Amino acid sequence: MATLRVEHLNKTFPAIERRSKPTVAVDDLSFEVDGHVFVSVVGPSGCGKSTLLNVVSGIDTPTSGSVTVSEDGRPARLGYVFQDPRLLPWRTVLQNMLYVLDDRGDAAREQAMRYLSMVGLEDAGDRFPAQLSGGMQQRVGIARAFCVEPDLLLMDEPFSHLDAITARGLREQLQEIWVATQKTVLFVTHDVMEAVQLSDRIVVLAPGGRLYADIPIDLPRPRRASDTDVATAQAEILGRFETMQEEVAAARAEDGLAAAS
Amino acid sequence: MSVAIDRSTPSVGAVGVLRRAVLSDVGARIASYLLLLLLWQLVALYEDRFPGPAEVFGFLWVEVTAGSHGGIVRGEFLEHFAATLPRFALGIAISMALGVVVGVVIGASRFAEALLKDTLLVLVALPAIIWAFLTQMWLGLGDDAVVITTFLSAFPFAAVNVVQGVQAIPRDLGRMSDAFSVSAYRRLRHLQVPAITGYIFAGLRFAVIIGWNAVLLAEWFSASEGVGWRSRYWYDANRYKGFVAWVIIFILFIVLLDRLILVRLQRRAFRWRDAQASEIEREAVEVDVGVTGA
Repeated sequence: MATLRVEHLNKTFPAIERRSKPTVAVDDLSFEVDGHVFVSVVGPSGCGKSTLLNVVSGIDTPTSGSVTVSEDGRPARLGYVFQDPRLLPWRTVLQNMLYVLDDRGDAAREQAMRYLSMVGLEDAGDRFPAQLSGGMQQRVGIARAFCVEPDLLLMDEPFSHLDAITARGLREQLQEIWVATQKTVLFVTHDVMEAVQLSDRIVVLAPGGRLYADIPIDLPRPRRASDTDVATAQAEILGRFETMQEEVAAARAEDGLAAAS
Repeated sequence: MSVAIDRSTPSVGAVGVLRRAVLSDVGARIASYLLLLLLWQLVALYEDRFPGPAEVFGFLWVEVTAGSHGGIVRGEFLEHFAATLPRFALGIAISMALGVVVGVVIGASRFAEALLKDTLLVLVALPAIIWAFLTQMWLGLGDDAVVITTFLSAFPFAAVNVVQGVQAIPRDLGRMSDAFSVSAYRRLRHLQVPAITGYIFAGLRFAVIIGWNAVLLAEWFSASEGVGWRSRYWYDANRYKGFVAWVIIFILFIVLLDRLILVRLQRRAFRWRDAQASEIEREAVEVDVGVTGA
């Protein structure tokens, strides 16, 4: 469990060409995540979701403002699940797990096997990634991220490349593991339905990287996509999401008119 | 482990067996060799200066087995191979060592690529015979000229392949390693080295084929023993069947080296890629392992 503090975060990418304007990816964003919670960041494409994740993970630096991730005052350990599995193709599943662990001893091996069995792949340790289906590979990616026992787990649209049935199965599996392992999760997605099913809280970003809404989801777990409560919440939040998109479209149209006159 | 798939219409009896044998892969390969031999024999029948297969293989047999014939000492096959192989091996070893170093430098640095890539491509395009002539001029007769010709001819092929390998290291996996703060040593061992291993093998196969060509040419001009020299010896003596016999030996050597050693090594290094077998085949392999393990 960790504390993630995003304070007045700005991220601007310099103009690529001389005449174009710099791109504002994240605009004065502040929020805090603390403890054993599952937080989703939702927004249309181009709203700075991935940039936010890159800044949190340290791959990118903020233009201004700050992001701190801490665990009892010390810097927190991070785990990362990518959109694609990103496994070493020339190493077996177990070797891929050991690659991200600090030591190589029997303890590390046991730990790797424990998380592999959590995703139902305890028999696949000696296989190469190419021998697994896309869904199985993504499960290895999830097991790998949990395996480093992160304080904060970052997930970047991990199910968006999978077919609907596989994705549904993995969402339920992810909930089980999350309940069992007590991690703080920051989950980026453009799929509102997925966010509602998985999250305790949804941070909605508007285009331009501004915070639009911060919505708590208070539903009992485990949640299934077929639960009535889940479906009702999904419909309600999807409605708010559509309102936002209409507002943005209206604002754009107004800007366009202002510019034209 | 192989599964024979019979696409021919089922036919009964000896004719069916024969037909299936001819239509199989092995049958087709044997047939291609027989056809070549037949063509060779036909050409030899109409052209006096072209020795036929029987003549050549007869000569080859004498050349390989010890003994003397007509006052000329033959059976020097092993001695000449013993002279050539160390030169060849040394030339290839230097090519690979320098090829990996230069390839990694060019592949990893844009400046080095701009500086050296074109030179490397010119070297790739230069035929081995240029080096054979030049080294003979510079160094005269001896091992040095042969080894250096082999090295200069094979090295650019090794380096070019390694450059490609370094440039093909997947960036996504680098970013994944960043996100998990994997140490530089572990990255080298599990990410960078395996990523370029396949390209090093491809470079080695090129280097061996080009280098073998080069060692023979260099020996033709700059040696007083060795397989290249021996083929020239028979050529100069107007014994064309001797010359052709040695050509056969060159071909056999390179084919056997490639098929029996290099292809197998490469397949081993690429187990992870070839592992994309179907579920059924995978089960079969597991059964195989179970049987041998028992």
